Amino acid sequence: MQGLATDNAPSPGVVVPHFIFASISFIVVVVLMLLSATSFTGFFFEPHLLAITHTAVLGWGTMIIFGALYQLIPVIFETALYSERLAKATFWTFGAGVVMMVYTFWNNEFSTLLVYSASLTFIALMMFLFNIVASTRRATKKTFLSHFITTATYWLGLTAFLALLIALNYKFSFFSQSHLLYLKMHAHMGMAGWFLLLVMGAAATLIPMFLVSHQMNENKLKFAFYFVNAGLLLLELDWLFLHGTVMIPVWGLLIAAGIVFFISYVAESYKKRLRRNLDVGMKHTMIAVLAMLLPVILGLTASVSGLNFKPEILWKIIMLYGFSIIFFFITSIILGQTYKTIPFIIWLVKYKSFVGKTKTPLPKDLYSEKIADIQLYFYIASIPVFIAGIIAGSEIIFETGAVLLLITAVLYNINVFKIVFHKSRIENENT
Amino acid sequence: MKTPEEIKSIESQIWNILKFVIDPEVEVNIVDMGLIYKVEYDGEKTVNIEMTLSTPACPIGDAIVLNVQEAIKSKFPDFEVDVNLVFDPPWSPDMVSEEGKVLLGL
Repeated sequence: MQGLATDNAPSPGVVVPHFIFASISFIVVVVLMLLSATSFTGFFFEPHLLAITHTAVLGWGTMIIFGALYQLIPVIFETALYSERLAKATFWTFGAGVVMMVYTFWNNEFSTLLVYSASLTFIALMMFLFNIVASTRRATKKTFLSHFITTATYWLGLTAFLALLIALNYKFSFFSQSHLLYLKMHAHMGMAGWFLLLVMGAAATLIPMFLVSHQMNENKLKFAFYFVNAGLLLLELDWLFLHGTVMIPVWGLLIAAGIVFFISYVAESYKKRLRRNLDVGMKHTMIAVLAMLLPVILGLTASVSGLNFKPEILWKIIMLYGFSIIFFFITSIILGQTYKTIPFIIWLVKYKSFVGKTKTPLPKDLYSEKIADIQLYFYIASIPVFIAGIIAGSEIIFETGAVLLLITAVLYNINVFKIVFHKSRIENENT
Repeated sequence: MKTPEEIKSIESQIWNILKFVIDPEVEVNIVDMGLIYKVEYDGEKTVNIEMTLSTPACPIGDAIVLNVQEAIKSKFPDFEVDVNLVFDPPWSPDMVSEEGKVLLGL
């Protein structure tokens, strides 16, 4: 059978560990949040905040994206992954790098351990980059969507490279400007270059597929791609060579325009959908897409220097800006898309050989829909509480949000482990 | 060799069998989704099915194809089932039957 995405699907042993590592990281993130609520309500940049951010963006976000991407590459590029062994080696190197880096930040070991943990993570990310680029090189089908994936991967490489320089600078002090400028560059490369482009590319494939929408206007995606990349490139160059000019909000507007084109694409898919009822996975996804507007507004507001905010107000805007990207946009899309990927992966392993011969469960029968629904409600409830906690600078409100998110994380983990360790019901009947 | 009437009757039985093959994502059977383009029985032992998927990227495409083969073989164990997967013409929502639209909640 030619042309089927599953012909090239990676073995589950490559994909599944990423989901396990990421799910546990999600719980760790929220526990660290509870232990250090002052990091979010205070007014300065401190090591615990870096530990929490990197657990979230690397251990949770990036780790799960790696797993999902190994599964998605055959779908988007119609080719198998270049090397499964390299993917497995990347998993262990990256996992070790992330654990070490979070330990480094949490315990304030910048001058001693940071170079090593950053180097280890950098090596892992380069291994990933090589695997993706080598896979796309031999792709039989190149659609516009593949540009999102490859470009996002290059931005990830740049993000990691700058991170390595920042880490080395702690030891050898060679930057001409404040390290905060480079941190800003690093953060935006990671957020807009890696996460935003990657999520856009993946979601533009998956959302119309799961909603069964056809005859989509693909031009919107092209505009989204070019606007985000142009805006981000100009933003980074402005910071690097001119150290931040009055044009920063303009570059921000370009990125915002790209996001608006993407949201409009999703809205079109939603309108044209054949599948009327949204399941929990798609509800989470839609929340994530809507949540993209919040950091757009906050980021643009913070970038206009003429607004002359008091430092503590500006800090709150920036805090909410970063928080909403990681915990509203990235987290919600992951929570949703997990339910659209991992049940299918495990279902294919357990039941593919039984289809048609005997009655098999559906992929959605592998997890508890009730738990997923409750998880969604707790997640939704946490959003306004977090916003209120950050705006009011209240630890207790913020911690309430963290408790709601912790319940979300635990429920999510229950379902992920239920899926991963699902025992075939057919085998059970036979034995 | 079967008579044209017998061939027609077996082909219509196969259409009915395929109504039990469900696309797990949308939870609608593949006949009402409009995924089956052609069912041809040669009057001997071969059945040719021409079908499509709602998207070529469908991650469970081969499970659906397998399901088609097995479903037919469960009723006609001696038959050889050839499934020809085509993407031209591409599937479009217009191909969903009236019953399918009801099942999809349209």
